[in-house]
Formats: sequence, structure tokens, C-alpha cells
Amino acid sequence: MNITRRATLAGAGAAFASITAGLPGIARAQAKQVVVGTWGGDYGELLRANIDQPLMAPQGIEVLQDIANADPRKTKLLAERQARRGTFDVACLSDTDMHMISAQGVFDNLDMAKLKRGAAILPALAKPYAVPHIYSALVLLYNPNKITTPPKGFADMFDPKYRGRVGFSDILYSTNTFAAAMAGGGAFNNYAPSQKKLMELRSLDAKVYPSNEALAAALKSEEVWMTPMWLARGFMWQKAGIPVKHVVPSEGAYAIVFEMAVPKNSRGKDNAYAYIDAALQPAAQAAFADRMGYLPTVKDAPLPAEIASQISLTEAEQARLRAPDYDYLLKTHAEILDFWNKQFKA
Amino acid sequence: MAALVLPAGLLVLLLLVAPMLLLARISLNQFSPTEMMVEATTAANYLRAIQDPYYQQVMATTLGVALGCTLLTLALGFPAAYWLARMQSRWKSLATILVLFPLLVGNVVRAAGWMALLGNEGAINAALKGLGLITTSLPLLYNTGSVVTGIVAVVLPYMILTLASVIESIPRQAEEAASNLGAKPFTVFRRVVLPLALPGVAAGSVLVFILCMNTYASAVLLGGPQFKMMAPAVYDQFVRGNNWPFGAALAFILLGVTLLLTVVGSTLLGRKYKTA
Repeated sequence: MNITRRATLAGAGAAFASITAGLPGIARAQAKQVVVGTWGGDYGELLRANIDQPLMAPQGIEVLQDIANADPRKTKLLAERQARRGTFDVACLSDTDMHMISAQGVFDNLDMAKLKRGAAILPALAKPYAVPHIYSALVLLYNPNKITTPPKGFADMFDPKYRGRVGFSDILYSTNTFAAAMAGGGAFNNYAPSQKKLMELRSLDAKVYPSNEALAAALKSEEVWMTPMWLARGFMWQKAGIPVKHVVPSEGAYAIVFEMAVPKNSRGKDNAYAYIDAALQPAAQAAFADRMGYLPTVKDAPLPAEIASQISLTEAEQARLRAPDYDYLLKTHAEILDFWNKQFKA
Repeated sequence: MAALVLPAGLLVLLLLVAPMLLLARISLNQFSPTEMMVEATTAANYLRAIQDPYYQQVMATTLGVALGCTLLTLALGFPAAYWLARMQSRWKSLATILVLFPLLVGNVVRAAGWMALLGNEGAINAALKGLGLITTSLPLLYNTGSVVTGIVAVVLPYMILTLASVIESIPRQAEEAASNLGAKPFTVFRRVVLPLALPGVAAGSVLVFILCMNTYASAVLLGGPQFKMMAPAVYDQFVRGNNWPFGAALAFILLGVTLLLTVVGSTLLGRKYKTA
């Protein structure tokens, strides 16, 4: 084979192109892109199928997902907050996490004039620094085959009949602590009773699983029968054949809102706003309800009646729901985690 | 000649020493839930970590697991290393590659494999249930045993290869001479092979001990939520607690203890080597 100068140059060019294709910094100069920091799994996949491809691609904006669990992404946002250029254009986090990171001055206050869909947002969920994407309620899930009298609230977890049958997801330590606090007469701004109640659960052989998925497997094999969880997860698990029903706890519970925000050091804010607008489109919202059981955060998203009946709440149930006390959680978060790790799990 | 060290030296300075210095500075700061970190020069984080019975327990578990794994690896690795070192056949290089094989799989992937084997619904429990030997699953996962199993499987190749290279340099004639003079095989091992292989034992043990002290993936995935070693505790403080100063202090304590024990251990073994 003859190696000519021209062929060598062409080869080198192709090699350079294939190397640089993986570098977002260089690619960014060529096309419109938006980097979305999000969970993987169903959430990431639904974003891709219902926002990235049908709504963003026609606008000529390519969406890059930076996938990780919430904790590493929170740490990334905090570590980069002094940097001139951040990784994410859109950050997806739960409402409590979002408040915590927002308190460190990481996000822009949103310019609602730039959001075409801003007016459609449910007013109760609106915040200055984040847009609500989907939401659900904290409920108590139980196995109806094993627990024939439906539980009323978190207090039922302490019934000695269910010794060894209450399971917790380790990543929901804050929520589990809340459930224990409410069962012990605590309040949204007072988790103090949780300490005694968690130790009580410990002596009742409550089980802790490393992830929601591991907890789901334990519910499926009927190793445990009861757990505090998001209604939407319960809906998904039910669809997957896991024997669970839900009850909105009589003690009261909170809604969980998954939100989107724009970091101050985003490199493509216009594209970020376009992305958030797309996420608020009725069709994109309905897709999350259909597959994951999360409720739309906009007024005009259509829900099939069958799904609505499974994931919506009655007025009486809604009355028991409130927003978490974010400031209280921000101040006590380290303490809650410490107790969970050092006393409850020890 | 010194210039040859320059590129590697600069790289280490840039990528290792600089972040370590930054981390050391952070460890002296004060944690604040609302502001994350307040600039300060305090030893409070170190004192808290040293005095807290919880972290004493985490350190004890870490040391116990690391020492146990090192001894177990040594016991399992020595015969294999001896066999490999004395191997004459043309399959020797293939055997060496086979020893290295576990390192071709990432830590997390390997741990996932152990989970599939040891879990309540895992292969072993399913097989035992299928054979009718048990009715409820045996708790094989999420305990010290599963963590030790996972770690030993990771570090064994390091021990075997380190030992094998030293044993290879021990002349076979030394063993033959001992046998000719009437030593039984175990005496040959105890009086001739082991003392001459001590530098390898020291190097392999130090390497393995350091790897075990810093175990993360095996401890998290095979130990479960209730099993705590130092590296996951450091991660917890940084990523879940947002408490960077305390996390940094824990990291330096782990580093300090590992360094201290490594130096003490190799000095003791070194002394033994000289007297042997």
C-alpha cells in the first residue's frame, strides 16, 4: 500500500475529529447544546423520550445528560459554585435538596419572562429559584396480603405484630426520620421525637436496605411488608407486580417535588430556559404520570382517568399534605444523618 | 539524571500534593449547615473524630478487616506464589495472566457479581432452596464475611505476584541442600524459604494492607447500609452530610493511621529479615 501525504492528512484529520467528538467544550462551539444534570433510570429515560427528542431536537438544541444520583450532583454544584463555568445548564433535584443548594447561592433567580409556560405552573409549587417538574406525596406503603386491616398512619409501623416487617430505604434517611418523628408526636419543624421512636423501631428489628431497588425486591419477596415511600414509586411497583397499597398517613405528610433550576455559572442559559419550557409542556408532563405515577405541575396537562384515580389524592388526603420545613431541614440535616448512621443503624 | 524524575514529579505535585494541601486546609475549617464552610483554624474536626465512639468503632472495623484480609491473603497467596515461582512449564506466562485475570474486571462490577451470588435471591440461596436443603434464605450478604470475601478476591493477585517475584530469586539449590541435610518439607519452608521470602512478604503485605484500608466499593456494596469502614464514612460526610471539613479530617486520620501502621509493620519485618 502506498502511503501518500494526502491520505495521511485525511487520516489524521479523521482521527482528530473522532477524538474531539467526545469533548463537550469543543463541540459546544459548533452546535446548540444544553447539559442537564439528572438521575438516570426511568427519570433520565423519560426526559430523553419525551423532552430531548420530540421537543428539543426540532429546535436544533442537543441535550446532554450528566447522569448521577442526587448526592454526587449536589456536591458537584457546590464544588463548582466559585467557578466561572459550571458543568450543568439545568440541575434536577428534589425540593429539599434544591433549597439546600440554593441557600449556598448556586442558582439564578428565574426570569419568568423568559419562560413561555411560566403561567401554567401550579401556584402552590412555584418558587423563585426553581421550576417544579413533577410531584408526588409521601405515603405509607403496605402489603395487603399480609396486612389485612389497612394501616392508618406512621404509628402502625410500631405495632409489635409487624416486628421485622418494616423496611426502610437507606437513601431516604431524612424522610424515614420524619415518619418516626410524626409517629412520636413531632411536627414539620420538630424532629426531636424521632430519636426515641427510631430506637424503638430498631428494637422491633426494622430493616434497612441500601437503595429503593433493594427495598422493592424485599417487598416483592414479602420479606418486609411496610415502608414510607413516595406514592409514585408505589404506583410503579404495583405495575411491576409488587404487592403494595398506599395510605396517606393520618399524622400528616409532605409532598415531594422534583424541580429544575439554572446554575449561575451555566454556559447556555437561553437553552436552559428552552429546556425547562419543554419540560412543562402538557405532553411531556403526562408521560411522567403515565409511566412513573408522578403528578403534573402544570394546570393544563391531561391525565387519563384511570391513572388519575390511582395517583391523585382526595381533598381530605390533600389536606394532610404540606411542604416540608426547608429551613428546619437545612439546619438539622447533619444531625438527622448523624443519628441515622450512628445510633439507628449502628 | 535527576531531570528524568521531573515529568512524573511535576505531575504528582500538581495532581496529588496540591489537592491534598487544599484538603488539609479544609479540614481546619468549621462546618456550618447554612454556609457550608466557615474559614477557621481549628482542630475541632480532628478531636471530634478521635473522641467519637462511633468513629472509633468505624476505625476499629477498618483495621480489623484490613489486618484480617492481609493475613488471609498472605496465607492463601503464599502457596500459589510458590507454585507459580517454581513452575517450569511453558504454561507459566499463561498462569501469570490467569492470576491477573480478576484485575481485568472493575471493582464495582466484581462486587455486583458477588451480590448476584450471595444475595437473598442470589444463585447460592436459590440453588440450596432448589435442592430442598433450606427453606429461608441464608444471610450471606451484608456482613463482615461477604466484605472480606470481596476484598480478598480483589487483592490476592497483588500478593501472589509480589511474592512470586521474590520466591523466584531464591535459588532452588538452597531448598535442595536443606533437604539433603535431612530437613523435612515444612522445616525447609520455615527455616529456608520463608526467611528468604520475607522482603516479598513485607512488600506484598504493605501493598495489600493499604488497599484494604481504603476499601470503598466492596464495603458499600457487599457490607450493606449497616457496615461502616473509613472510606465510605469519608464519602458520607462529603456527599451526604455536605460536611467537607469533617470529611477532610476523617480522610487525614485514615491516611495517618495507614501510614503509621505501614511504617511500623515494614520496620518490624525489616528487622526480622536482618536477624533471620
